[in-house]
Formats: sequence, C-alpha cells, structure tokens
Amino acid sequence: MSNLLSRMPRSVGAPGLVVIVGVIIVLLSGQQYTGSVFVLSACYAIVTAGMAVQIGFSQQIAFSQSVFMGVGAYGVAMLNTHFNMPVLVATPVVMIGAALAALLLGSVVTRASGLALAVATLMLPLIAVGYVSSAGYLGGVVGAPLTGTLWPSSSTAVIAIGGGLVVVAFLGIAMFVASRILSSDIGLELFVLGVDERTAAAMGVRTPRRKLELFVLGCVFAALGGAAYAGTQQFVPATLVDPTAELALLIMLFIGGRRSILGAVVGALVIQYLQGASNWVSVNILVVEGLLLTVVLLVDPEGLAGIVNTGLARLRARRAGVPAAAGLPPGEARGPQASSFEAGGPHASYVPADGAGRVGADGTGWGLGADEVHVADGRGGAPGVPLLECRGIGKEYGGLTVLDDITLALPERGLFGLCGPNGAGKTTLLNVIGGSVPPSRGHVLLDGEDITKRPPHERFYQGISRTFQAVHLVKGRTVLDNVAVSCLASHTSSIITRIGRSRLAEAREKAAQALAGLGMQRLADREVSSLTLENQRMVELARALAPNPRLLLLDEPASGLSEEQRRRLADVLLELGTRTCVLLVEHDLDLVAQVSSRIFVLSGGRLVFDGGPSDFRASPVVNSLLVGL
Amino acid sequence: MKFGNLVIAGIVTGSIYAVFAVCVAVWYRVCNILNLAVGDFAMVGALGVDNLYRVKGLPLPVAIATTILVVGAFAYLYDQVVLRIAQDGPRRAEGIVVTFFFTFALSFFIDGVAKMLFGTDVHAAPALWSGQALTFASLHLERAGLLVLACAVIIGGAFWLYIRYTLGGKALEASGENVVGARIVGIDTRRYRRLIFVGTALIAAVFGIIESPITGYTYLSGATISLTGFLAAAYGGFRKPGRALVAGLAIGVLEALLGGYVSAEYGTTVLYAILAALVLAWPRGLGFESAVSG
Repeated sequence: MSNLLSRMPRSVGAPGLVVIVGVIIVLLSGQQYTGSVFVLSACYAIVTAGMAVQIGFSQQIAFSQSVFMGVGAYGVAMLNTHFNMPVLVATPVVMIGAALAALLLGSVVTRASGLALAVATLMLPLIAVGYVSSAGYLGGVVGAPLTGTLWPSSSTAVIAIGGGLVVVAFLGIAMFVASRILSSDIGLELFVLGVDERTAAAMGVRTPRRKLELFVLGCVFAALGGAAYAGTQQFVPATLVDPTAELALLIMLFIGGRRSILGAVVGALVIQYLQGASNWVSVNILVVEGLLLTVVLLVDPEGLAGIVNTGLARLRARRAGVPAAAGLPPGEARGPQASSFEAGGPHASYVPADGAGRVGADGTGWGLGADEVHVADGRGGAPGVPLLECRGIGKEYGGLTVLDDITLALPERGLFGLCGPNGAGKTTLLNVIGGSVPPSRGHVLLDGEDITKRPPHERFYQGISRTFQAVHLVKGRTVLDNVAVSCLASHTSSIITRIGRSRLAEAREKAAQALAGLGMQRLADREVSSLTLENQRMVELARALAPNPRLLLLDEPASGLSEEQRRRLADVLLELGTRTCVLLVEHDLDLVAQVSSRIFVLSGGRLVFDGGPSDFRASPVVNSLLVGL
Repeated sequence: MKFGNLVIAGIVTGSIYAVFAVCVAVWYRVCNILNLAVGDFAMVGALGVDNLYRVKGLPLPVAIATTILVVGAFAYLYDQVVLRIAQDGPRRAEGIVVTFFFTFALSFFIDGVAKMLFGTDVHAAPALWSGQALTFASLHLERAGLLVLACAVIIGGAFWLYIRYTLGGKALEASGENVVGARIVGIDTRRYRRLIFVGTALIAAVFGIIESPITGYTYLSGATISLTGFLAAAYGGFRKPGRALVAGLAIGVLEALLGGYVSAEYGTTVLYAILAALVLAWPRGLGFESAVSG
C-alpha cells in the first residue's frame, strides 16, 4: 500500500484517497449522521485546502476566508431563491463573482505584507458581520434559506447522496488543483515567498502578482466551500461570516497541519466530527478546540501532518538503523553530515585555463603577494559604458543618513570588494543596487540605462543576482530545488496554468548544471537544513550563480566559515571574477584583498577609499578604520 | 451638547481599548507573542465576581479577591506549562504560529470554560461606585466611566514610567529585541515574560470588574475587547505602548462619533473600514514593516 502511494504523483495520491474514502462514506451512510457530518466537513475542507496554499505554504496571512465562504453561500442562496437558479448552476456563477470581487479587494489589500496584511484583512469579517446582521434581504441575524438543493430530486435519499457526491467531487478537484500548483515551478516560487518576500523578489518572483493570485485563489476556494455548504445544508446562517467562523477555519488548518493539503482536510474532518462526538463536546466545543490546538502546537507546530511525518521518518530510520533527525521529511534523515562541498571535485565548466593553479597554493596572509592577485584586472572594462553605475546615491532613514553621495562604476568582469565598519551602509548599498531599497537620491544605471525605479524582480531578469547576509533557504526542500528557485521560467505565467503542466524539471536541470559547476552535485538531493553552514552558504551562492548573472552581489559570504572553508571560497570567487562582475561585501580583509582587483571602503555612508589591493593595504585611512592601526 | 457627550463616552470606551492595547504591546515587546486572550481575562474578572457575589453569595471584597487570585494563578500556570514548552521546548514554534495561534487557542479555552461556569447571559460585576451619573452643565459622565478613566491613566502612566525609567524596563525591552543576546548579558527573559503575562492578565481582570457595569459582559465579550485592543496595538506597530494608548483612545472616540452622527447600525462597520484603509494607506508609518516578518 505504501509502495503504491509513493509511486503515485503526490498531486493525484491525496485527492484520490480522499475522493475514494468520501464516495464510500457518502454511498454507505449519506443519509445517516456519519455521512452528513462528512459532507459538512468536506465543505469546510474545500476552504482549508485553499488556506493551506495561501497561509500555510506562502505565509500570506489573510483573514478573508469566512467572508468569501459567506459570499459563496449567500450568493447561491440569493440566486436560488430569487431567480430560481439551480444550485449547481449558481455555484460557478458565484465563483466567478467571488473571483472578480477578490481581484478588486485583493489589488488593494495585498499591497500590504506580513502583519499589516493580517490586520487589514482582520477587518473583513468584522465589516461583513456588521453588514450581514443588518441587511434585511440576507435575512439579518438569522440567515437566508434556500428553496433548492445541490442535487435536486423528490427523494430525500437522492438529495443527500447526490449532493454528498457532488461535494466530494468539489473537494477532490480543490485538492488536486492545490497539490498541482504546489508541486509545480510556481509552487516553488510560493515556497520562497513563504520564506521571505524580499528573497523571493530578488530571485525574480513577481511578488505583487503572486500575492494577488494567492488571495484570489483562497477566496475562490472559500466561495466554492460556501456554495457547497449552502447547497447541502439548505440554509445560510449569519454566523457563517462571523470572526469566530474565521477562527474556527484557522483552527482546522493548524490542527491538521498548515503545510499539508491532506492535513488541512483532515483538520476540518477532525473538528466537525468532534463537534458531534458527544453532547458534552458539542456544548463545550470551545474548550475542546482550545485544548486540542494547544496540545497539537506544543507537540508539533506543523500540526497532525507534522506529527505523522515525524513518526514515519522515525519508523523508516529505525528500519534502516539510522537515528532520525526530528522534523525532517521522510527520507531526509541522514547520518554524518558532509563537511565540505566535494573538495577537489571536478570544477568542470567553471575552471578557466589560467586561474586554475594560482590560488590553491597559499597566499592568504595579510601583506602577502599583494600584486599577484590582480586576476580580474585588464579583463574588466567593456568598451564604452560600464556595466553598473551608481550616481550620487543617497539614502536617509528618518533623519539618519545611511548613504551619502556614493558614485562608483563597475566593468563587465572583475571582482570588487566593498568594505567598511559595521553600519557603514554596505548592505544598504547592495539593497539599493538590487532594488529592495529605494534610494533617497541618485541613480542606478545598468548598461547606461537608468534602473533606479525598477522593482527587484526586473533587475533580476536584467542579470543582477545576489546572496543575503543571513541564509535564506527554503527548509524542507532539497538543495537542487533551492538552486532551481533562481532558474524558473514561470515568472510571467499565471498560477492557473500550472494546474495543467509543471515546468519544474527544466529549472532543476539548470540547477543541476550550476551545482556541478561548483562541484556540489553530490549534495543535490540533500534537504537544506541538514547541511552545514558552509554548504548552506554555498547553496546560496549556487542559487545566485545558476542564472548566469552579469552582476553578482555577495553579502558576507564568508561569515561563519572556517579558515579552510574561506580558502575554498576564495578559489571560487577568483574564478567567478574572470567571467562576471562581482561586488563582494566582506569583513574578512585578507579575503577581500586576496581576491579583489579593486576595493571600495565605506564609512558613515561615504566612500572614503577606492583603489587596488596594494593601496588598500597601505592606506592609512583603511588601516585606521578597519584594522585599528 | 451631543458632541461633548459622544466624545466623553468615546474616551471612556477608548480608554478601555487603550489599556488592552498597552497590554498587548508591552507583552509583544517582551516575548514577540501577540496575546489575543487579554480580553478574555477581563471577561473572567467581570463574570467571576458577578457569579461569586450574586450567585454564590460571597461578600463583594472576597469575591473580587478570589477572582483576581484565580486569574493570576491560571496565568502563572499557563506560562509555566504552555509558554515554557512553546518558547523553550525542543520543537520551538516559530513565526506566525507563535505570534497568533497559542493565544487564539487560549482565548477559545477560556471562553469555553466561562460558558460552562457562567452560562450565556449578559452579566456584570456590581458597580463599585454606584449612584447617578455625574452631570456638568449638560455633559454626563457615568461614575464607572470615571473609575475606568482613572485606572487607565494610572496603569498607562505606571507602565510608561517602568519602561522608561527603571532597569527592569530596559531589561524587558532587551528581552524582546534579542532573546539570546539578553540571556547572554544575564537577563532572565523567562522571568520578564512571566511577569508581564501575569501582570497584564491581572490588569485585564481588574478592568473587567470596573468596566462591566457600563456595558455588561457575556462569555464571548472577551474576544471583542481583545480584537479592538489588538487593532489599537497594531496602530502602534505592536511595539510602542504609548502610541497604542493614543490609538486606543482615538478608536473609541471615532467609534462613538460614527455611532452618533453616521449610523447606529453601520457605525462600527464604517469604523473598521476606516481602520483597514489606514493600515493599507500607511503601513510603514504605522510601524508594520518592522513588526514581524513570516
């Protein structure tokens, strides 16, 4: 059985399982208690499946689901009672209506991020409940009845079983769509969005668009769930749009496991069946839900799905005789960690003829062989315009000046160091070049073209790629997938297109090449959080390199690395400088002087030094600022 | 004098929001958890005193003391058992799980227990300072309202002084900025987390007792109060108790004015729409950017 399941594509497995179980339950006991509760929970499960994509994976916390469940339910009720439209016809009409409404609302609210999004959308249930309770045509505080049913018939048995089967089909479709999207290349975009919005934008993800699509997706799923609810319960209570209804949905999602479609569905089932388990439970459901959620979150923040996954991983590890690392997805728990990225491996595509033997020797000491390190000199400097130009960049936060009139130009190739004491503005300058921070003054030019106003994802398409000071990788995914993030061709595609065809394989192929280029192919299938810090940094570097950028921005790639690891990093950097333009922010002055052909020093937001490595070491300004001489 | 009376009523309800906003903001600052159960402690205070005094027939001071003691003990236990595991345990919860869902669960739990013990009717603790509303010219001020205002000023002021001028206040700030860093320099972050959690629970309970004669509470009132307090705290970027206080007052006054001049029916709906618009129009200014990511 488990063999069969693992061989099936995941996007078919879980929905298939739920549909089979659902059909059996509805056929056997559609008219009895078990069946009717199952159908009711399936209505909620449609909503929570959408929430898993929107809130669980992509971390876009919007409290809009109960409202749109209400839109679906009330919409169907109105169309049914006032226009005599059959429920099954009204459902798609209402979904389209909900999509349009969500598009309109979403284009306003998804401009906000993080807690602002949560707070702004928290208002929605409050507004909705105020509106609904005083709207006479919706039945006010009581609610709206329906005249029809989801599956119209004169026999109550056919109504119950037919309606139940339709709801199970809806749920199957919802789960299938959600799983397809998550397992596609756009799904990978959503994972990165869930890690950090800025990282996603720097990897080319069009974050405003994806956030809007996610919002609409969540709302449409909710509307479908609401329509199914109205069609099977034949009544829409006003409490459906209550803030408590929204909280109940969230509790279902978190108990089941926010990062699992199946978990979200199971969560809805658990809560609904609990409500009917006994009279005491149904009266005191708040106590039970509160206790259950607390216990589940304490045991595993990933909910029931997380508990099951950890258990399975332990079981498999025990069978294989290896101690399991808690929380890793099955199959990722390993024994000893690889401590280096394939030292001495074949640097196949990257090793240039002249630079190969030069650096491996030693030459890491401060003051050693200063002139020998000008690898990139002479190669840089395209005819005419420089690759990157910063003109009079200034940046203020409130009254604090972080960057003051920075002007510099970088050629097509070469490695350039950017040093300075803490708070000098190094990272801010990288952010201004990368586009995640707008400058207060000045212009950024790429190939002589002003890109100051371009968003980060467009700069990524133009060839600017970067790493971050803190490692920002997608936990739970493999090294290969983490590198594939920057090779996606999906940025201009709509989320809906991925229900049909995923193009993740192409991105993975490119990522595999990039990993091979750094001699890291052995790590491709490892889960990233099982790697050492050095390897995690190398994965970030591989991710930044994979799209063959023209300008590579590296923010302290050596921090946290050992002497030996730094030497290996230096090899890689030296080689990179011969092919592309690298701007390296780094505190390790030895490393900077060793690999850079030209070094900039920032202090208090001003450019205080600009010169070659030998001048750098001799400069009194640099020594007093950075070395304390 | 409709305007004047509306403003006064607004300030009274606003001061309640303000106090809860301050409680949410201060505790968030200490341990980066948003406490959505603060209002539920207020509800327990009000309904607990009512139950002990009216139903069980205990003398009022005994009823108040017992209720406060129970709230304090429960908050202490919750911190020792749940929060300890949640923040220091082997499966540490991170990000949104910590910020929202633990106290969601707590709020559900408290409401459920209150329903069990106190039923579903509207009740209130007996007025501590009974008598006719005070009248100045044509302005009316409920005595309970005056008590609420006085308490808000005292508690708000005490918090501000504590954070601003004491070593404990600095340590408290440090705990929220960087837990590990704070521990390295010898600050017991757990102690501050517990101190503020139990402290805010007690403050909430006291407020519930004083305020309930004005509005009356049911077992679900806590959630509404928490929510408004949470929103007011949001307008202070969750980290600035002073701004949260001002925001709470402003929301109260705005609510009263909208109810009086715009529509009694849709007043709150319009209020929430305005609040949502503010967040969207000015997220950076309200401090959301720095509040939380992920």
